[in-house]
Amino acid sequence: MITIELNGKEQRLKAGSSVSNLFSIVGCDDKNVAIVVNEKIIRPENRSILLLEEGDRVEILVFAGGG
Amino acid sequence: MSLLKIGSYTFVSRLILGTGKFSSSTVMLDAIKASGTQLVTVALRRFNREQMEDDLFGPLSTLKGITLMPNTSGASTAAEAIRAAHIARELSGSPFIKVEIHPNPQHLMPDPIETYEASRILAKEGFLVMPYIAADPVLAKRLEDIGCASVMPLGSAIGSGQGLGSADMISIIIRESRIPVIIDAGLRSPSEAAAAMEMGCEAVLVNSAVAVAGDPQEMASAFAGAVDAGRKAFRAGLMQKSGYAVATSPLTLFLGTPS
Repeated sequence: MITIELNGKEQRLKAGSSVSNLFSIVGCDDKNVAIVVNEKIIRPENRSILLLEEGDRVEILVFAGGG
Repeated sequence: MSLLKIGSYTFVSRLILGTGKFSSSTVMLDAIKASGTQLVTVALRRFNREQMEDDLFGPLSTLKGITLMPNTSGASTAAEAIRAAHIARELSGSPFIKVEIHPNPQHLMPDPIETYEASRILAKEGFLVMPYIAADPVLAKRLEDIGCASVMPLGSAIGSGQGLGSADMISIIIRESRIPVIIDAGLRSPSEAAAAMEMGCEAVLVNSAVAVAGDPQEMASAFAGAVDAGRKAFRAGLMQKSGYAVATSPLTLFLGTPS
C-alpha cells in the first residue's frame, strides 16, 4: 500500500495504482474532471499510464458555480 | 445587429452570466436560457462526492451555443491564477479566462499588480484574457497594451448590489479603450445594466443579481431586455444634456398677449 494526498486528505492506495484507478475510489466521472499530480496536469490519455507513488499530491478538480 | 467581438469570437448576446449562488443547477440552467447569454463564467473547485450537484460541467454541456469563461477565483497571486487558468483550459477547452485575483475576502478588490502580471503571461500564451479590475483607466490601458481581449472593471464590490458606483472612471476607460469594456460585479438591477450599456460598455457580467433574485429566470430575462435596450440607446445616440429647459412645444403667443 501507498499513501497519497488526494484533494488535501490522506488516501491509502494499492501500490501500482494508476491515476485512472482513482475515479472508482472517489466516484467521479473521468471526462468532467481535471487531474493535477504534483502540480502537473495529467491529460486523459495519460491517466491509465501514470502510476501513483508514495507521497504524491493529487488534485481532482471540477467546474462549480462562480461569477 | 452589432455583435460583441472578443478576440476571434462573436456573440449576439451582450449579457454574460455568472453561475454562482444559484439554488440548484436546474434554476441556473433556466436562468441561462432565459438570459439568452452565450458566455458563462464558472469556477474551479475540488471534486466532492457529497456535492455532486455543484459539478456544473455536465449540466452546462446540455446547453447549445454556450462558451465557458472559467475564472481564477481563489487565486491570490499571479502564479496561482496562471495555474488555475491552465487547469481550467484543460477542462473547458475554451481560450477564455477571467483573471480574478482578490487576496482579501472582506472586500474582494482585485490586486492590480498580480492581475497585470498574470494577464501578461496568459495573453502571451494565447488565452483570451478578461481581467477583473478596479475601475482604473491607467491599469485598463496597460492591460490593453499587453494583449488582453477585454477589460472588466467593477461597477462596485462583488455581490454588493451597489450598482455603478464607479461610473465616472468607467466612462474614461470606455473613451480610452480599443478593446471591449465589460462591467463586472456590483450590478443589482436591470436599469443599472441598461445605464452601463448606454455609457458604451460592450457587455455586462451579472451573477448575484440574477442568482439570488426571487425569480432568477424572470430576472435573467429582465437583464437581457435591459442590456439590449441600453445598447440600442447607445447606438442611437443620447441627446445632449442642457442646464436649462428646452421647449418641446411651440411657444407662440396666440393664447394671450403679454403686456
